[in-house]
Amino acid sequence: MSGTTILKPDLGFVNEVIRSGGESLKKCYQCATCSVVCNVTPEDKPFPRKEMLQAQWGLKDQLMKNPDIWLCHQCSDCTAYCPRGAKPGEVLGAIRKMSIKEFSAPGFMAKMVGQPKFLLVLFAIPVLLLLASGAGQTPAGPVAFGKPHGFLFSMYFIDPLFTAAALFALVSLGLGVRKYWKAMAADLPADQAAKINLGAAVKETVSEILAHRRFQKCETTKGRSTAHLLVFYSFIGLFITTILAFVKVILEPNTGYLAFLGHPVQIGESAITGLTVIFKIIGNASALALIAGIFLVMTNRFKNSKKAGVGSYYDWLFITIVAGLGITGLLAELLRISNIPAAYPTYVIHLCFVFFLFAYAPFSKMAHMFYRATAMVFARATGRG
Amino acid sequence: MAQDPILVIGGGISGLTAAIEAAECGCEAVVVEKNAYLGGRVAQLNKYFPKLCPPLCGLEINYRRIKENPRLTFHTQAEVTSITASDGGYNVTIQVAPRFVNDKCVACDACAQACPSERSDDFNFGMSRTKAAYLPFDQAFPQKYVIDGASCKADCGRKCQEACKYGAIDMDMKPETLNLKVSAIVMATGWNPYDITRADNLGMGKVKNVINNMMMERLAAANGPTSGKILRPSDGKEPKKVAFVQCAGSRDENHLPYCSYICCLASLKHISYVKEQYPEAQATMFYIDVRTPGRYEKFYWKVRDMEGVTLTKGKVAKIYNAQGTDDPVVVIEDVLSGKKVEEQFDMVVLASGMEASQRTRPVPVSVSYTPEGMIIPSSLPPGIYASGTAKSPVDVAKSMQDATGIALKSIGKLLSSGGAN
Repeated sequence: MSGTTILKPDLGFVNEVIRSGGESLKKCYQCATCSVVCNVTPEDKPFPRKEMLQAQWGLKDQLMKNPDIWLCHQCSDCTAYCPRGAKPGEVLGAIRKMSIKEFSAPGFMAKMVGQPKFLLVLFAIPVLLLLASGAGQTPAGPVAFGKPHGFLFSMYFIDPLFTAAALFALVSLGLGVRKYWKAMAADLPADQAAKINLGAAVKETVSEILAHRRFQKCETTKGRSTAHLLVFYSFIGLFITTILAFVKVILEPNTGYLAFLGHPVQIGESAITGLTVIFKIIGNASALALIAGIFLVMTNRFKNSKKAGVGSYYDWLFITIVAGLGITGLLAELLRISNIPAAYPTYVIHLCFVFFLFAYAPFSKMAHMFYRATAMVFARATGRG
Repeated sequence: MAQDPILVIGGGISGLTAAIEAAECGCEAVVVEKNAYLGGRVAQLNKYFPKLCPPLCGLEINYRRIKENPRLTFHTQAEVTSITASDGGYNVTIQVAPRFVNDKCVACDACAQACPSERSDDFNFGMSRTKAAYLPFDQAFPQKYVIDGASCKADCGRKCQEACKYGAIDMDMKPETLNLKVSAIVMATGWNPYDITRADNLGMGKVKNVINNMMMERLAAANGPTSGKILRPSDGKEPKKVAFVQCAGSRDENHLPYCSYICCLASLKHISYVKEQYPEAQATMFYIDVRTPGRYEKFYWKVRDMEGVTLTKGKVAKIYNAQGTDDPVVVIEDVLSGKKVEEQFDMVVLASGMEASQRTRPVPVSVSYTPEGMIIPSSLPPGIYASGTAKSPVDVAKSMQDATGIALKSIGKLLSSGGAN
């Protein structure tokens, strides 16, 4: 028969969705309540009903090149109203995890981040690296971090290590995002592909993300967008802090990298102090926002667990890393100011969390910001809202 | 010889059938009914399956069988409050609420005409009002008026007492307690339309002109609030575009996790009511799956092929009021085309499911229920049987078949515990 489509179900994929937090997938009986109660879906070919069917049938390719899986913000309105307890919100969460695994290279890293049995190995890597740099010792004298030599560990080792980790993450994410975009665009008719106005789509998407406009349409898990907004802006704040701190360690007259390399710059003490004050204010405010935000994220999850589900290992790993990062960071700072030597091990733990967040970003839920933004840009560019 | 009667709890189609069959076999049977009339849910229907005839015709045959049979007695406005095992049978306590009208009533309506107070008409699901002195519906059996004590305030009772020429009004009637020794008990406690206001997305009670399927029966029934003319509640307009929303509460683990068996057919039947009155009208039924058990498939084909009838696959999961009108708007995903659609209607009929009565009004017997609130027959003590929708959602025909079998079981119990004559 002409025009017949032969579906190629990928049963391994179905089982992986089920294992990744989509246990309830097979309960779905396609009534389409989910698509109706969803406030963030486009009207044409709405989600998540079709994704539930694609996942049940093991149509991995269709799901992987689908922007809709990321347009979903897991409001869980669908899960709350689902008459079968099929939890479409959780299933789409599991599919997103698999999408990250599909596109972020190298694949074995994604596998490790996705499975609890590899957790210790993943943590052991930053621990060993930091110990190798001398992080086991407690130096004499007043507690202070970030001196070039003769203290906890060498700045000249730590900074390149973390820079390398961040660069690795960026490259991996960049390649992943490119692969995802290509997969989505493959099916686009030529005339539509030609019409894409990327600049406008990016602009609109950024403005939407900055205001969390789509996220705010959630009903069942109202409040999640506020929590996320706090964490989101605290990350931006901490990013700015990091950049400014980096500028400082490059420029500092005696100990900065330029001085270290034999090209000291002439810069006044007051300029450095001013810079320090600015990033300390931003950094501390962001840290407080981060801790408050992630605390809200957690309480929202518990509060909504009955209607929306508690979430998967993958979700909680990310939440725990972010919470750990915030708490150890603030604690290390307080201990340092109080001149208590316990500041050192706390700081080491903090750095482990930082490493975890950066180096594994392409494979953990951290990657959601890149893939979701990509999908949102693609959806806008192709008129899918 | 003396024999302990069979007690039947519930005077709907199932209970009446069990009691009449048993009585016609020579056994004593007592029916206890909480309403002021017999006939239960069937009495509220406009037409019923399988033949789509008016149910009062079938009920009248049963009423005649009751009147002709001295072995069958019944108590209306009555409730069983305790059941204790005794000597191979059961001692039961029955509380009878005062009717304030005695057997002298000839149903002349004089009391209602004189009555200054009103009440919401629960027989019509609140879509009309009656006087505090009222006949539940025109062919109610027993054909006796009732005075609603809660609505009859102050000296309201005096007015109808004066109006009644037959001395039928007795405002001094007190609640009665009856104690009976029975040989067997049939629980024919029936069902209620699921309270679909609990599904906050379907608009019942919030959005104008959203009604449930039993209200549709009343709107179409000649003895209903609109004398059988289907008019939408908010403004009495003739509905020309009606939506039927299937599985309103049924097949939904947040509400009733089972299929209520007959709602698809009920909605198809309602479409035929609408098309009969308004041949030009458009009717759309939104479904997950159309389920027409047994011989009913043909009826489905017939209605499906009517002009102006659309069957759309996709569950309605949102209903709201179109701004500035009395029209409800339903939101669905049309599963076959993959489009999210909003459509405005004159009226929406929710196919609310059957909820077993004992879920909200438990009978005082130790019994196990399924998680859905249905009686598990094997968990019932010896000599107590469940019939009809107390066990599972069924249609009238199946309910009556079941009741007949249950009648035989209770007769067997009666014979083994002392014998009938």
